[in-house]
Amino acid sequence: MDIVLMKLALAAYAIAALALLAYFFTRQPALRAFGAPLAVLGCAAQFAQLIARFEITGIWPLLNLYGSLSLFAAVAVLIFIIFAIRYDLWFAGGFVIAIAALFLAYATTWNEGTMPAVPSLQSYWAKIHVPLVVSSYGAFLVSFVLAGLYLVRYYVERSLAKTAAMATAGGQASVAATGGWLASFPSLPQLDVLTYRAVAVGLPLLTLGIITGAMWAHEAWGAYWQWDPKETAAMSSWIAYAIYMHLHTRNAWRGMASAWICFASFFVVLFTYLGVNIFIHAGLHAYQR
Amino acid sequence: MEARVSGLRDLYEDFVRTFGNVLFAVCLFLVWGVLTLIGVVVEQGLEPSAYFDAYAAPVARAIVRLGFDNIYHSYWYVGIIGLILLSLTVCTFKRVIPARLPPLRPVRIDKIPLNASIAIPGTVDDVRAKVDAFFRKRGWQVRERTFDGAEWIFADRFNWARRGVLIAHLGFVIIAAGATIYWARGFAGEAAIVTGQTFEIPRTHALVRLDTFGYKIQPIATKSGMVYQPIDYVSHVTVTGNDGVAKHETIRVNQPIDIDGTLYYQASYGFAMRFDVTHNGARVGSLSDRTLMEGEALEIPGTLKSVQYARFVPTVDRVTGQPGPDPRVNDPAVVLNVFNGDAQVGAALVPLQTWIDLGGGWRIVPHTYLMYTGLQYRYDPGATLVGVGAFVLLAGLVIAFYFLPARLYVRVDEGPEGTATVGVAATTVKGYDIYEKQFGELTKALEGNAWTSS
Ligand code: HEM
Repeated sequence: MDIVLMKLALAAYAIAALALLAYFFTRQPALRAFGAPLAVLGCAAQFAQLIARFEITGIWPLLNLYGSLSLFAAVAVLIFIIFAIRYDLWFAGGFVIAIAALFLAYATTWNEGTMPAVPSLQSYWAKIHVPLVVSSYGAFLVSFVLAGLYLVRYYVERSLAKTAAMATAGGQASVAATGGWLASFPSLPQLDVLTYRAVAVGLPLLTLGIITGAMWAHEAWGAYWQWDPKETAAMSSWIAYAIYMHLHTRNAWRGMASAWICFASFFVVLFTYLGVNIFIHAGLHAYQR
Repeated sequence: MEARVSGLRDLYEDFVRTFGNVLFAVCLFLVWGVLTLIGVVVEQGLEPSAYFDAYAAPVARAIVRLGFDNIYHSYWYVGIIGLILLSLTVCTFKRVIPARLPPLRPVRIDKIPLNASIAIPGTVDDVRAKVDAFFRKRGWQVRERTFDGAEWIFADRFNWARRGVLIAHLGFVIIAAGATIYWARGFAGEAAIVTGQTFEIPRTHALVRLDTFGYKIQPIATKSGMVYQPIDYVSHVTVTGNDGVAKHETIRVNQPIDIDGTLYYQASYGFAMRFDVTHNGARVGSLSDRTLMEGEALEIPGTLKSVQYARFVPTVDRVTGQPGPDPRVNDPAVVLNVFNGDAQVGAALVPLQTWIDLGGGWRIVPHTYLMYTGLQYRYDPGATLVGVGAFVLLAGLVIAFYFLPARLYVRVDEGPEGTATVGVAATTVKGYDIYEKQFGELTKALEGNAWTSS
């Protein structure tokens, strides 16, 4: 049952990503009307899959990399859908969903069957801490895509302005000249605000995730903070977004500079999430396999 | 004298200018983040030689000399957090409070990017009353002030939330305070207690006796082979705290116990060994009665030889005769290293109850294993404060992110032909772009409302 749902989610994401990417470039409303419900379907299938797995095995499905990565994909798409509905963001959906689908496909390679949790993971904190942290990463993925789109628009506009200035000395750059795909983007200030809003979802979630992690560590390992590689890496992600947030309060740095910081910060998140486990094996947080 | 005072004042002003600069704070954050990441990448707390094995010599030397092997307790790390706190304090007083809690004062409405001018029929006083009522009805906090004879209306939304940043900053300071209390007054340690033994915890002088230790391990067949998954570790102990009363307690992973404010946690376990040592067939009591932990050695009297109990092997693989993966005790053996002086002259996997001959009439038999429990204990008088700080910080973040304080500056002036002109400008704590849409809607509603209700 859960395998079927997983395949359904993957297929729905793959088609939705293609449709929405096509929508990004063509702005054919039909493509959006086709892609958006598929994204919702994939997301629903994913949550159903996680619930089914829990029902079948009786084990919280997030404690291995398979479960955690699938939740990451599901939450990233869910947060994106909420943003898309609220701020009319479907044009960016292809990117978010394609990345989520890649993570989900990667997740399936980690499916080792079911296993009971080791003693330190047998805690209700595990059920709270893991979803919080993973959800924050989902929000950061959305902010990453939005910051990326900001930068695309910023540099396209700049090169257009240069070309226009060269063609007709002092002439106006016309974004519409690009055939429309950029023209129907939100403006740079709007993209900046949307990026900030996604970080504003992610940072409190990450803060709460770190706090609950510390509470759990206090219970399981005797110290709320052990300087374990995973928790320290999570702190670096937190610091990265705190930098973003502070730069964003300055008028001069709001925009291009803060978009770059937000874009780069996601790589710190990726390092925290996957890099620490792949490159640095020591520590208390190695995923169980 | 005067020159000195003015020199000091210059110094103070430079200090405030530097530490009150957000970009300076961001740089400090960056250094903090990079130091933190170095500690993730460079494994912490190893012997210096381990770094020389793992890295090129200049890198290893830098790691050891700069204290990057124990970075989170280095002067760098503590220092950078100290600078961050200093910068936070200066910024809070010099920048955040003036920026976030500005006094009510007149502005040039047309100089503020979010502005509108609306003509509404009626006298100035009528229209002002209408505007006032319009904002109040929508939940704005309205205050009227007169400056140089001109009457101003100030309307605020989520004015209280202007303190979100201050609350977030305060939370960070409280966390730092809690961590400092632990650093100054707390302690932590580990105790390995063999079954049947009593351990006196240094500092607290509590007595902990291990009655029994148990563990449960479940073998599970996975795609990549058999995995032995630990399910439970449990220590049954008798503890005596300050009150002198012995109590039976159970310590499990995730279920620490508290003795007089110090917490004891299940951290690890292992196998201690007793060896029967004989010399020309006679039992040598002084060596045979000792209980050895992994890594400890027996010195053979009258020789340079010593035998180190390197590690316990719970299960020897029947087919290969090598240590097997099953951590449950099935066919136990021990790994013994034999030394002559400092030089290792042999190593052997020795099943329990079998002997090895050391020459010179000496024989050694791994005889009995005793489980020991590894407990971690910790006294942290700052923990509660850190917890409180964390939630204050979180509350501050939520307030700062989800409640956008906005202030409207409104002036009503006489307009042409029986109308009054309402000039409105809006500022928020996060710039103008974030409020553009709402401002448009608000001014439209103000216009529509004023017309229809007149
Ligand atoms: C070096 C230490 C710090 C300094 C100097 C500093 C300084 C500042 C300044 C000047 C502002 C902008 C106020 C304004 O212009 O309205 C600000 C905003 C803020 N700070 Fe800090 N801060 C520091 C550390 C922190 C930390 C550790 C946190 C916790 C996450 C934090 C949370 C916030 C929040 C939530 C805001 C509001 C951001 C927004 O509205 O978008 N700050 N900080």
